[in-house]
Amino acid sequence: MTVIDPGMEALLETFVYESNTMLEQLDEILLDAERVQNISNDNIDSIFRIMHTIKGSAAMMGFGAISGLGHAVEDVFFILREDPAKLSQVFSSLFDLVFQSSDFLKHEVEQVTDPAYTEGDPSEMVKRLHDLAAVMKGDAAGSTAVNSTSAGGSGAAPSPVDTADRNFMDSRRIRLYFEDDCQMENMRAFMLLTQLANICDNLESVPANPETDASLCEEIIRNGFQVICKPTDSFDDVLAIIESSLNIKSYEVLEDEPIADEEYAGDAMQGPSAQAAASSAPGATAAAGAPDAAGAGAAGAAARTGGTTQAAKQQSLISVSQAKLDKLMDLVGEIVTAESMVSSNPDLRDLKLDNFLKSTRELRKLTDELQDVVMSIRMVPLTGTFTKMNRIVRDMAKNLNKKVELITYGGDTEVDKTINDTIADPFMHMIRNAIDHAIESPEERLALGKPETGQISINARNAGGEILIDVADDGCGLDTEKIMAKARTNCLLVKPESEYTDKEIFMLIMNAGFSTNVEVTEYSGRGVGMDVVKKNLEKVGGTLSINSVKNEGTTFTIKIPLTLAIVDGMNISVGDTIFTLPITSIKQSFKITDPKQILYDTDGSEMIMIRGDCYPIIRLHSHFGIDTEKNSFTEGIMIQVESGNAIACLFADELLGEYQVVVKPFPTFFTKYNMKEKGLSGCCILGDGSICLILDVSNLISKT
Amino acid sequence: MDESIVSAVQDDLTGRYLTFYIEDVIYSLPLNHVIEIIGIQHITHIPSVPYYIKGVVNLRGKVVPITDVRLKFGLPERPYDDKTCIVIVMINDMHIGLIVDRVAEVVTLEKMNTAPPPTNERRMGDSYLDSISTLSEKIILNIDCMKFFQTDLAELFIQES
Repeated sequence: MTVIDPGMEALLETFVYESNTMLEQLDEILLDAERVQNISNDNIDSIFRIMHTIKGSAAMMGFGAISGLGHAVEDVFFILREDPAKLSQVFSSLFDLVFQSSDFLKHEVEQVTDPAYTEGDPSEMVKRLHDLAAVMKGDAAGSTAVNSTSAGGSGAAPSPVDTADRNFMDSRRIRLYFEDDCQMENMRAFMLLTQLANICDNLESVPANPETDASLCEEIIRNGFQVICKPTDSFDDVLAIIESSLNIKSYEVLEDEPIADEEYAGDAMQGPSAQAAASSAPGATAAAGAPDAAGAGAAGAAARTGGTTQAAKQQSLISVSQAKLDKLMDLVGEIVTAESMVSSNPDLRDLKLDNFLKSTRELRKLTDELQDVVMSIRMVPLTGTFTKMNRIVRDMAKNLNKKVELITYGGDTEVDKTINDTIADPFMHMIRNAIDHAIESPEERLALGKPETGQISINARNAGGEILIDVADDGCGLDTEKIMAKARTNCLLVKPESEYTDKEIFMLIMNAGFSTNVEVTEYSGRGVGMDVVKKNLEKVGGTLSINSVKNEGTTFTIKIPLTLAIVDGMNISVGDTIFTLPITSIKQSFKITDPKQILYDTDGSEMIMIRGDCYPIIRLHSHFGIDTEKNSFTEGIMIQVESGNAIACLFADELLGEYQVVVKPFPTFFTKYNMKEKGLSGCCILGDGSICLILDVSNLISKT
Repeated sequence: MDESIVSAVQDDLTGRYLTFYIEDVIYSLPLNHVIEIIGIQHITHIPSVPYYIKGVVNLRGKVVPITDVRLKFGLPERPYDDKTCIVIVMINDMHIGLIVDRVAEVVTLEKMNTAPPPTNERRMGDSYLDSISTLSEKIILNIDCMKFFQTDLAELFIQES
């Protein structure tokens, strides 16, 4: 197990979050690049920066495996950046290797928060990356004999001295010493530099780029770490940061020492670094004082620009814990309720209060806006989830020797964060199923007269208060006969076989343990897939329907609510009780004029015929045991509701109107009574402060 | 709040009880469980729960379940009047409201005036009493909150332990 420095534990969460974000970004770039069979210079730079940052922060946290592998990948891209032409030599092996590295890094990053974390061993991958680098370098010998491992660390050395010389008048020089035995002096120095970068126009250090070379620690311990900076505002700010930094033993502001400067320059220029810089920029312009001419120096510069763009990003984006957002959401819900309690207070009825009304109108406008903003904070685009699917498609297609293309539409559709997290798994299962079962091998496809490359499309769109997502493939379609046969052996059929419609047959695959695959493969066949899909969707109030045409493909349509916290509801009354019915589940409502429209089953249960189809009737008052005067169908109202593929009619007293309500779960006190199973999904607080109960249509229907 | 203050406050509350009436009998609840007392208000009925759970009320945006003590004790229901109160108690971080006929006062009960309830095998099943005290000639029945909600919260208690 790896022991994490206690001082670093606070940073761990940030490290995991940042690394994950960057690794996802990396995947995205790689997938794009692989598709167009080329990596643009910008992308090479981005990959380089990503690896550089991951490596740096992992080293700081003390994760050797991550930083080691990061370093190796960085090396490869360093060479590519010098000479993008080399890409063609190593294209395919490069991608596989980098994907593998990315997987390894993701796995490691996932594990680090586990107290029992032991580092994985990346040496195999590192070796292959080194080999790859060697292949590229081998051809490059002569033109750019850059030793990438040392170039980053030392190449930039000339520049600080030059800059320092040029801006000597207003630059200040500080020498500081770290506490004895605080370890990783170079990383601490780097952290300090990043902090200072925000408030200094010009920032250099001796030794330069301390983060690149752990061996610099000794130098820092011996000679101290020198920061040469030109403060943006006041020099005191700089000192304040240094004083507040951890593990700094002492610091001194140095008077101008031009001679010492030269010495340091000399020191820094010695060793392999000087040669690297010189050879990469023939003519040794480095010595002449043109920092940007030093090819190897670019590494240091890029690292710095990387640092600053990141700093800029950090300012415009902050990550907030979800618990805080939930709390905020709760509060806003209460404010909305409190607002309507005030403005429609019964004490004020029949009073003429012009100014008061004006103020409450203003208040309402603001609370509405507040609610919208808070809701939008919780919304995240689906792109992230979609991008992850790209990766699955690529890997599976490669392993199964199929050609598959994933097309996504509407990735910018936004859904609540909780929903986004829950649907990632269902997507993965559906895509896996599609590739494994549905899409045929290229030969079969050609024989069937289909294009060689199979197509899976994900299409997300907004429809009212819901998001519809189609996951469609152009594969072989669902085989109804096979499904029926399997259902027969698993005893899943509940009615005569001839009565099953195609849609109902398709829904059978949602049952747990249902797989028509004979063999269990790496990807599917265990029969947990579609079951998980259904469960996860139900958790967020979503539904799924399947459409399939043999040999033309299958389309799964997912319907999920935009958000869980606020629901558009139709309030209905039954006796004295008010229920809220989610608008999305209502198909229509109507009055029954003639009792003869009601049909009776042999067991006496009531049904109704609407446009040729027969639906069961659920009397809400008898289902919930509520006294009401409206017992006969002609007095009340009938509401036709739908959940998934099931449809039923609810009988209530009256429709009260449409409201937007904040959903609250039942108090834990009711856990014992399992309200959900009784057809109640939660409660909500109405404008007048009273509580109403939210009906759970899917459970209501299944219980009848 | 400082921990020492919290414990000081709790120390202050031990031995102190809120007394209330059901019919003419005085009952009491330990004060450290009591959060507040509110007047009777509109209670939203929840279907398919035991009859003594009257429903839920909205307490400043919080949905709080309400239990009628009379019904829980097996006494006949009686219409609420302006003396009827809901005592909000906190058990296991959960707010629960208790409907009582009338709230009396906060008293300090001395240990020497307190006796354990009789151990009568036959009645043990539905006894919610912790002890019985006398205070200036009056008899006070002290309710044990945990016992009182045991049947309702049994599953939750099990989950926690």
